[in-house]
Amino acid sequence: MHEKLGEHILWHVPVLGAVHGDTIVTTWLVMVIALLFFGWVGASYRSAYQSRRQVVLEGVVNYIADLATSTIGPKGEPFVPFFIALFIFIFLMNQIGIVPFKILGIPFGGSPTADLATTVALSLIVFCLTWIVGIRYTGMKRIKHLVQPFWWLFPINVIDEAVRPVTLAARLFFNIFVGELLFLIIASIIQSRISIGFFNLSLTAAILPFFIQFFNFFVGTVQAFVFTLLAIVYLALSISDDH
Amino acid sequence: MTSQALVAAATLIAFALIVTGVAFGSAIGDGLVASKAVEAIARQPEARPNIFTFLFLGVGVLEAFPIIGLGLAFYMLFGIVGLPSGIYAALAGH
Repeated sequence: MHEKLGEHILWHVPVLGAVHGDTIVTTWLVMVIALLFFGWVGASYRSAYQSRRQVVLEGVVNYIADLATSTIGPKGEPFVPFFIALFIFIFLMNQIGIVPFKILGIPFGGSPTADLATTVALSLIVFCLTWIVGIRYTGMKRIKHLVQPFWWLFPINVIDEAVRPVTLAARLFFNIFVGELLFLIIASIIQSRISIGFFNLSLTAAILPFFIQFFNFFVGTVQAFVFTLLAIVYLALSISDDH
Repeated sequence: MTSQALVAAATLIAFALIVTGVAFGSAIGDGLVASKAVEAIARQPEARPNIFTFLFLGVGVLEAFPIIGLGLAFYMLFGIVGLPSGIYAALAGH
């Protein structure tokens, strides 16, 4: 096993301390890809004709925008661009793991979301957004939610609020991480050339990576969608007046 | 050596139990979600896109827990047994 999972290149930055260099470089790469992609789609708006790429992206944007405005209500309209950006950013970060950078000899690669640092940062963004926007929209009522319906439910409400970013981060991280881990396990089975009698286990296992890659693509899409949808639901819970 | 083998055997049994538990629970949960979604679509075919949204949300949220359990079980397994370099090399005979 030359490949090591869960080990990152450490960069020593003066203020922050040790940071994961490969995750940062891959995230920058995803940002560049996203910017180029949006530039490419946006360039088609210069002509009067409606191109295919425009229609595909507008489908995604409309879907998330409808979801946000129907869940949060008219108050949610300013946050629609944030949710669209969140979905497409997480989607691209999940799917960049399909490119075998490390096999090509490039030291970074793998999904940035298979690193707990990325997902915790994303979930903290959502957590801060729900609290700041909730307090700005409903004032002290947002804090009063913690002691409703009874004052002695305060600890349970605090746990409920605190567990949200934790599960949001852990869900995305473990889904992508286990997807990469399955690849390494299958690779180790293939590499070790096991045969039990006439049954060649390693040769049989060589068909599995195709199915696992399909599964990973599905899981990456669904988890990006689930992350966005839960962010929408948390924001809706946070700025609704009743409840 | 024997105590190491005992720890490895106990870890493998614990791993199998964890995987059994999470697979059992998530299979039941997935079955419930899918059956309710099919019922709802059969009752109200025009609400199909809406139901699909919540079906995927439910399955996505639900699948997180077995995956988290599986990830922690893998951590334990690789931390104690070291499967890729240890067990498979032993099985392959080199």
